[in-house]
Amino acid sequence: MAQIILSTGNIVSGGPSIIRKPGAYRSNLELTNSLRSNFLAAQQDYADHADPDADAGASSPLTADDPIGDNNGTTTTISNGHGNTDTTPPPPPSLPVWTAHQDGVIFVPRIDWPEAGLQEEPSEYDITVKLFFLPTTPVAARPQYVREALSLVLKELDVRAVDLLVVSFPGMSFDGDCEWEADKRNALQGNDDDEAATWPAVEELQRQGLVRSLGIAEFGSAKLARFLTRVQVPPRVDQINIKNCCNVPPPLVKIAKEQGIDLLVHSDCTDILSKGTLRELLGPGPRGAGILADTETGTGGLQGDLVPQWVVKYTAVVRDRGVIENKGYFASAALVQE
Amino acid sequence: MGLLALGTALDWPDAKKQAQLVRAWGIKQLLEIWGKAKGKERDIMLWGDEVEYLVVTYAKDDPKVLLSLRQADILAALAGDKSLSAEGGGAPELQDVASSRTSKQLPVFHPEFGRFMLEATPGKPWGIDFKELLNVEPDMKLRRHIAKDHMLPNEYPITLTTFPRIGSPGVFTDPYYPVSGPRLRSQFVPDEIANPHIRFPTLAANIRSRRGRKVQVNVPVFRDENTPWPWKDPTVNYDMHQWPEDDDVRNGAAPDNFIHMDAMAFGMGSCCLQITFQAKNITEGRRMYDQLSPLGPILLALTAATPIYKGFLADTDVRWNQISKAVDDRTPEELGEKPLENDRWRIPKSRYASNSTYISTDPRLRPEYLDPDLVIDEDIKQQLLDGGMDDRLATHFAHLFIRDPIVIFNEDLQELDLSKTDHFENIQSTNWQHMRFKPPPADNSIGWRVEFRPMEIQVTDFENAAFAVFIVLITRVILSYDLNFYIPIVKVDENMETAHARDAVLEKTFHFRRNPFPVRPSRAAASRTPSGSSTPNPAFSSSRPPTPSGPVEDEYRRMSINEIINGTAYARRHESEADADAEEFPGLIPLVESYLDSVNVDVVTRCELATYLDLIRKRASGELWTAAKWIRHFVAQHPGYKRDSTVSEEVTKDLVGAIIAVGEREQRGEGFKGLDGTVPEIGRLLGGFRSGGGSRSRLRPEVVDMVADV
Repeated sequence: MAQIILSTGNIVSGGPSIIRKPGAYRSNLELTNSLRSNFLAAQQDYADHADPDADAGASSPLTADDPIGDNNGTTTTISNGHGNTDTTPPPPPSLPVWTAHQDGVIFVPRIDWPEAGLQEEPSEYDITVKLFFLPTTPVAARPQYVREALSLVLKELDVRAVDLLVVSFPGMSFDGDCEWEADKRNALQGNDDDEAATWPAVEELQRQGLVRSLGIAEFGSAKLARFLTRVQVPPRVDQINIKNCCNVPPPLVKIAKEQGIDLLVHSDCTDILSKGTLRELLGPGPRGAGILADTETGTGGLQGDLVPQWVVKYTAVVRDRGVIENKGYFASAALVQE
Repeated sequence: MGLLALGTALDWPDAKKQAQLVRAWGIKQLLEIWGKAKGKERDIMLWGDEVEYLVVTYAKDDPKVLLSLRQADILAALAGDKSLSAEGGGAPELQDVASSRTSKQLPVFHPEFGRFMLEATPGKPWGIDFKELLNVEPDMKLRRHIAKDHMLPNEYPITLTTFPRIGSPGVFTDPYYPVSGPRLRSQFVPDEIANPHIRFPTLAANIRSRRGRKVQVNVPVFRDENTPWPWKDPTVNYDMHQWPEDDDVRNGAAPDNFIHMDAMAFGMGSCCLQITFQAKNITEGRRMYDQLSPLGPILLALTAATPIYKGFLADTDVRWNQISKAVDDRTPEELGEKPLENDRWRIPKSRYASNSTYISTDPRLRPEYLDPDLVIDEDIKQQLLDGGMDDRLATHFAHLFIRDPIVIFNEDLQELDLSKTDHFENIQSTNWQHMRFKPPPADNSIGWRVEFRPMEIQVTDFENAAFAVFIVLITRVILSYDLNFYIPIVKVDENMETAHARDAVLEKTFHFRRNPFPVRPSRAAASRTPSGSSTPNPAFSSSRPPTPSGPVEDEYRRMSINEIINGTAYARRHESEADADAEEFPGLIPLVESYLDSVNVDVVTRCELATYLDLIRKRASGELWTAAKWIRHFVAQHPGYKRDSTVSEEVTKDLVGAIIAVGEREQRGEGFKGLDGTVPEIGRLLGGFRSGGGSRSRLRPEVVDMVADV
């Protein structure tokens, strides 16, 4: 089994992919669009280097500067199929060029870690990290996921801790015709036991000083009340996603105020990366990155079943200036050989 | 209004002799502060708004509504209020205005040019904490409340850009003064219309004197069904012989079909909404200046509120050009009416005009965007370059410094004081462009600032807060997303003219940049750059190579304000005639929403901000009317209006009465619902917003209670 880490890089100056379209409220478009555009950019950026005519010889600067140091040696080389492309755009350069492979982890695209980091002292920022657990994974794996995701973010931003870690559990939403309805419906969503079982791993990160405060997403009043009785470190934030943010269910407002929990707005969807979406992103199709083998023919890329594991979103805002300096996503998937 | 030091003001012939000295000293002071502050870093985001009021006298049973000239008394009452000043508010003594930045809370009041005006600012600058943005509207309401509290029972502070009948025949001020005084020499307004502080009448007199005749503020009249055509301004008196300038109208100063005005008070007596931001450093300040410049005309048209002048409906909706003409001190030679003999150059624009150049170090600023005919003082530019300033910024100041100082105090000419900026500010603050780039004060205690100046004041504090907060959010969006709104500066000028048209917000299109997004930096290129640079700079473009670029003309196209504000997709849904093939422009509001989606905002704050964005969205789409349109409609439906473009005392009184009624509702927190009976079509101006009262009205009361102190 290999792990695949997808990343968007800093999307804050990434152009149209970050802009909410009318009617696209509450979707995963930001994630999927910015992943796509980062794949495309990486393919273009490294295409020059893949072409032996463009950059002479073995001393490619990419190899020389390769932070991971694997020298591209361990990944499968896939033929580019030069020569038959006149009208269609050239196929993406083969896997090793714009991706990286290290210790069983495939980075799509490869990450230029020395470029990571923030412009000012870490204390100038509010860094918020939101981790999405997905329905496709076992609860027992969550402690590992949290650590993996957070350590990637810490590395990307070159910081030692983040201010807020919001955890999003699968199967939760705030839907309903009116706010009472949404709150009532929410009470039955998710899985209380799983959520409570997950929390100690998150609390541990706070104890270790990697996270200053904790948050959850999409908890209505009933779920929140139950959750609070089962955790040691209560969340300081509950992110809710309601169409009209003026219609906050009063019971939720009440409990939040009593418990000193900030109700923050978000516009993410909970089940942010489905298997199908992931396959489309990485697959051989017209909108895919061409990493995966064609399931029909069994040719042209990685083989196996692809299971999304987690998605993490990170945002670094210069606190006193309200400027978003860095925002991006990592997503993790397992490639299970059949 | 800047520094109001007391002293002996020189009349123009004497002032003119000292102009070169003031400029020379001003440049030395500029270089001093630039040297001190150019490396200033990491200033936090602070901002302030300025709201200007007209003070009117109004009573239900009095047929006349008048401008109150009691500014000095009102300010004295505010200054004398011990409870106010204890909290840092009140009205500072005139000479203390510059030092009025205190850490305390209550609003501060300032004199303005018009003796019927007040200006109020928050007691301390705002930050960028989103919850703090919600304090703006209550603070504006508090300012109005305090102002009203220090007035006579029949006096009201109102936020109309201009008084509809200023300069009309008969009585329009309280107390009454006869027209044609020695300073303004206006046949329409008395000298006493201006703030009596020596700076203001001197400013007006010296502009007139330098110009060699009175200012000519001519606005096209709106032609209605019964408007005689050609229309001759019936209030112009061709038989006055008191001053040499009385010849102006006999020499064609008052053309047919134009409302003719002849004094600075017609322009500088306008109220506007100005926002000033502190930048992190000089580089960010320069960038903000440039990126906000193209937004100026858009926000001018969107806030249009000035359809009436001197008792007549105008064919324009905004105040801008009238102010421009009202302070236009250019001589006939500078205007190009006579060959250059005594003056140094022809000058295409008034001192009050849209920006003439860009100043940023952004590599995306293409030389083609700049005006090749920009007038600058080459000697001054050389001095600035010799002092170490870069070419672009030196050009900007060398352009501002083509102007003469207008008001010079003899006491300030004894010796050059480099611990002050008074001479620099003398020129800088009488260049009234639609953006202002403000260096730190002499003590370097605050940062580089940028002032956004084009917006018209709105009738309610709700609207004024909405536009102030919107601009603040736009600045954060520009910086976060590294947006690029550059178009050639002459196209910004053209847009500024376009913004004047009646209902330009719906009827006109504006040059605007098609793609505001930065080009994603190539990581291959990045990995080739030599390492060792201690500050990686991924989010900001300054380190990026310039984009390979096609013709500048391909970078922008005409867009409606709806499209600019709401985005192409939204505009397409709401305008059937919109070009279906047009490429997508994201829209400023969707950009702001994307920004808000990316930062931590609590639900109450987001709800309030959404209300502000909704107001602006609807103004841009035409779902709601601008104040200008609403006022036109108010006049048109009034039984006293004869469809002849004349806005009578009776109509004016009812209009002002309606505005006072709206203001009182807002003050009492009762909301605008139910006003439709007494204030025609108020729903078209304000929609359903604040229908049940003050802010947070869309939350149920129990929720408000619970979240009020969150």
